[in-house]
Amino acid sequence: MKRMSLSAFCRLTLGLLPLLAFSAGCTSEKRTSGNTSVRKIAVIPKGTSHEFWKSVNFGAQKAAQEIGDVEIIWKGPVVESDTGSQIEVVKDMITRGVDGIVLAPNQKGGLVDAVEESVGEGIPVVIFDSGLDEGPKISGYVATDNFKGGQMAADALAKAIGESGNVVLLRYLAGSESTEQRENGFLEAIAMYPEINVISSDQYGGENSTQAKEKVDQLLQLHGDALEGIFAVCEPNANGTLEAIKNAGLAGKVKFIAFDPSDALIEGMRNGSVHGIVLQDPVEMGYQGVKTMIAALNGNATEEFQSTGEYLATPENMDEETYQRLLKPQIVD
Amino acid sequence: MTENQPSADQRKANPLLKFLGRLGPAYALLVVVGLFSVLDHQFGSQSFFSARNARVIANSAALVAVPAMGMTMIIIAGGIDLSAGTALTLCGTALALAFRDYTVPVGAEDATYWVVCALAVGLGVGIACGLINGLIIALAEIVPFIVTLGTMTIFLGIGQVIASESTVYPETEHLPDWMRYLCYTGSNSDRYWFDWLHVPSSALIAIVLGIGVAMLMHFTVFGRNMVAIGSNPATARLCGIRVGMTTVAVYAFAGIFVAAGALLYFANVKNGNPSDGTGKELEIIAAVVLGGGSLSGGRGSVFGTVVGALIIKTIGSGCTMLSIPNTYTHIIIGVIIIIAVLIDGLRSGKPKWLFDRLR
Amino acid sequence: MSSLLEVTDVSKRFGPTRALDQVCLKAESGRVLALIGENGAGKSTLLKVLSGAHRCDSGWMMLDGKPYSPSGPIDAKNRGVAIVYQELTLAPDLSIEDNLMLGRSGTGLGTLVRGVQRRRVREAMRRVGLGHLSPAARTGDQSIATCQLIEVARALISDAKIILLDEPTSSLPAADVDRLFEIIGQLRERGLAIIYISHFLEEVRRVADDYAVLRDGQSVGEGSLSDISDDQIISLMVGRDVNDLFPHVPHEVGMPRLTLKNVSSSPAPVDVSLRIHEGEIFGVAGLVGAGRTELLRCLYALEPSYQGHVQLEGRSLPHRVGARRREGFGLLSEDRKSEGLAQTLSVTENICMGNHRRFSTLGIVKLGARKAETERLIRQVEVKASSGDQIVSELSGGNQQKVAFARLLAQNADIYLLDEPTKGIDVGTKAEIYRMIGELAASGRTVVFVSSYLPELLSVCDRIGVMSRGRMTEIRKAKDWTEEDLMAAAVG
Repeated sequence: MKRMSLSAFCRLTLGLLPLLAFSAGCTSEKRTSGNTSVRKIAVIPKGTSHEFWKSVNFGAQKAAQEIGDVEIIWKGPVVESDTGSQIEVVKDMITRGVDGIVLAPNQKGGLVDAVEESVGEGIPVVIFDSGLDEGPKISGYVATDNFKGGQMAADALAKAIGESGNVVLLRYLAGSESTEQRENGFLEAIAMYPEINVISSDQYGGENSTQAKEKVDQLLQLHGDALEGIFAVCEPNANGTLEAIKNAGLAGKVKFIAFDPSDALIEGMRNGSVHGIVLQDPVEMGYQGVKTMIAALNGNATEEFQSTGEYLATPENMDEETYQRLLKPQIVD
Repeated sequence: MTENQPSADQRKANPLLKFLGRLGPAYALLVVVGLFSVLDHQFGSQSFFSARNARVIANSAALVAVPAMGMTMIIIAGGIDLSAGTALTLCGTALALAFRDYTVPVGAEDATYWVVCALAVGLGVGIACGLINGLIIALAEIVPFIVTLGTMTIFLGIGQVIASESTVYPETEHLPDWMRYLCYTGSNSDRYWFDWLHVPSSALIAIVLGIGVAMLMHFTVFGRNMVAIGSNPATARLCGIRVGMTTVAVYAFAGIFVAAGALLYFANVKNGNPSDGTGKELEIIAAVVLGGGSLSGGRGSVFGTVVGALIIKTIGSGCTMLSIPNTYTHIIIGVIIIIAVLIDGLRSGKPKWLFDRLR
Repeated sequence: MSSLLEVTDVSKRFGPTRALDQVCLKAESGRVLALIGENGAGKSTLLKVLSGAHRCDSGWMMLDGKPYSPSGPIDAKNRGVAIVYQELTLAPDLSIEDNLMLGRSGTGLGTLVRGVQRRRVREAMRRVGLGHLSPAARTGDQSIATCQLIEVARALISDAKIILLDEPTSSLPAADVDRLFEIIGQLRERGLAIIYISHFLEEVRRVADDYAVLRDGQSVGEGSLSDISDDQIISLMVGRDVNDLFPHVPHEVGMPRLTLKNVSSSPAPVDVSLRIHEGEIFGVAGLVGAGRTELLRCLYALEPSYQGHVQLEGRSLPHRVGARRREGFGLLSEDRKSEGLAQTLSVTENICMGNHRRFSTLGIVKLGARKAETERLIRQVEVKASSGDQIVSELSGGNQQKVAFARLLAQNADIYLLDEPTKGIDVGTKAEIYRMIGELAASGRTVVFVSSYLPELLSVCDRIGVMSRGRMTEIRKAKDWTEEDLMAAAVG
């Protein structure tokens, strides 16, 4: 019986081989094997499940095509809160011997040592989207000015509610640098309006829409009619918030500013349940990230911080071409 | 009855075969490593089969294997611990808090004293979590699945309370270097414990703990009693083994490994986020099951568990090397887990219908 | 005349062992055939071949004049072969009715016609003497004896032509055995063929017309029971002469050792007072449910609470299993499968379970000493295992019981509480166990021996007490009892 189990084991495992070969074949078609002049750039997003990151990928691929002889390796953790997995991905990329790493750190503190290890192994790192704690010498930082984005959201919300009333700030996850900047920007700008009262700013919507919806359900339950406006700091958050507002029958009544677009939010803007979306330019972010990396690899001086711009789409301007491009950025499937 | 005796005779006749039979999961690991080495050589980055990658895999496997050792004991004793993941991050959060608020910078007076205190806090939290599980299971006689399902969210909640629903960042300069570089896998010799041995410190810790648990299981009365209550608690009671006390002890003991795992986790991500732990328990349990642990108790081995963790992480790493997207990686790991358990079943004559046909 | 079932030259191998080697068997309508053989002789395998669970390697079978080679249990059932297994196969959470109808649907549409079904169920239950029970009662709440009868009813309801009964009486008290035999008699009258597997020769004599003996997978004898003596059957079974089924080891009853004063627990025992001596074998008879098992478990402190006093040589004892064991109490459970042994562990682990104190210092096990001691015990009680590492579930019932016995010896117990120690094991092993019990008494140990098999109590014990409804109603010297007296006292 022992012998048979062994042979059966081998057979079964061999059966897996085609599957692996197949999936490997699917994804490695771009690779020109053994050609050392091709530079391999790893682009590591916070997570792979949101549209936003697919647009970043699009921008990165676009830059790679423009420059030529650059291969983008796209890999990240599945969920954005999984710092451990992201550290693993960075280490795996070091192992693969990539020429550079373009990274959107999940947590500003958690990735410091991984980045330091990479720099220590002679692989430069460009940070994008979200900041990293001080320490390792990075080759550039490409991001939206999130603080400014938060301020824009505050101004838009203030305008929507007539500069007076109670508002809620729904946070994202603790430790995520980019959203914390937005939150801080929002709070600072909203404080300029003496008539506006922030009645809740300590709730975290969590990493997915379902959690966010539950949180907002509770907040609406708690504050109900006294509430004039909500600001949700990122896309999963905003989707959940929109659902919750609709469910409570408060669509249009509670003014709602989102950050980052989604189909539901665009639709919401058309029918009046969303009053503004702060937009960033993910394609530009991926594009600039790779460009900066190549510049660093070529030994050119790079700017320490590059902003990729932030925009406010409103029901009035949403059909303009610039905003259409940003509302529905191109993605890599 | 009698039909099984011939195979038993064979086993006796061939001690080598018997020994090889025990290495079950290790074959799976060899096959996985071999497979990925070949595939990576053909289609991938040619960096899978390298010393550096071995270090990276060893380190990430250690992060799973250490808490999985506690889980192995629990599963052998016929239990399950769904709270292992959140208990681990609760410990990690406690460590992060200790290193944020109650320690002094490295090099200052009493620094070592405070570091030891912080570690003791982490250990204490781990053991306390295990004790709570064990006590509820033994005293209330509720099945472990339900109890730990409850404590899973309790520990998550407690973690969120002490972290004020946020992530706790320790003061980086309070962390001694050995702790900072526990999970270091680079090529700087100074950052390893032994500069002539480039093995991540986390893996060294896992090896030492693994040997310890294996000896505990094999050579101590406590270890044998654990197996006894796992395979049949009624028999154990009949034989005068205090089932309740042993259960509590097993869970508390497993808490030590949760705490050790938490130290590695903390050293890896350098912060404490209580909600990170959700889902970790499944990876831990998967490692135990891949290593031949039986969820009906009485069977499992630390060696197998360590190999199980290595298999999971090797697949993950191999898939990254081959640029296989996350989605496929998940499918492959799932398929491997089921196949591994299926093969394990072949050894004990399962599935029955297949063997009946073969007869 | 052609037989209903004819088995010719059937062989079945498992690896190098021949479980069945050219077995021949004939079962006639309207007769009861006793299939006799030691455990491991191949009876169970033959049963599995007949039921379609295994396929035979060679040979052929005829049922009702047509070739019979069932593809599985369902096919066998459809051909009219029903089996009542030794291990109960009822689903405890289903009602009796659901269990009876399990695997068969009332109409062609697959929907159950409740009314028709209910009538058939009631009819079958009435025929096995369970007419007083509600078909909707939960099966798990019934006694083992009732469950056994439900199994028989299940065979009846399937319109079987042949019913195979695999040791149906091993867990039945005498009154239920009588009822079962009565039912078997009725089935025979109705022209069914019965194949009856049992270790109890007395029962075989009472119930069967013909016999067939298997030994080591071979047919070694068949014929009419009226033409053969018990001793001849036994020598066919074991392949040697067993002159003495109940080997007697001379032993002296000594000083009082164990004293029970008004020991009560809920629901049993009730107010039991008793004095048992050194070197004494004290038998406990009674019906299933009379409180015999509960009395032993109370003595061993397995049940949490009790009233009264248990004293060992005049000292009261703390009510904890560990403490009792330290005082030398050892219990052999009646339920080998789910309590007596950890089926998934090795022989060595089972023998040493709870006895590691003997092989360890400061909690560290001395593996060498442990191995030596278990090997000695395996030899002493003659466990037929390939090595101490063999898994207990791979052993036959008799060998498993020897392992459980070896554990008590490893414990070096002084007071042996044996609960049905010979249940479901073959004649040869039984004799070995009686001898071991005798030797224990000869070395001054105290044995409390609970059994439903009266001949062994009468032959092996010094004194026998009868329990009824939790009370110890009567105690006499063994030689002053007869089977009839014991039965009368048990029922009374």
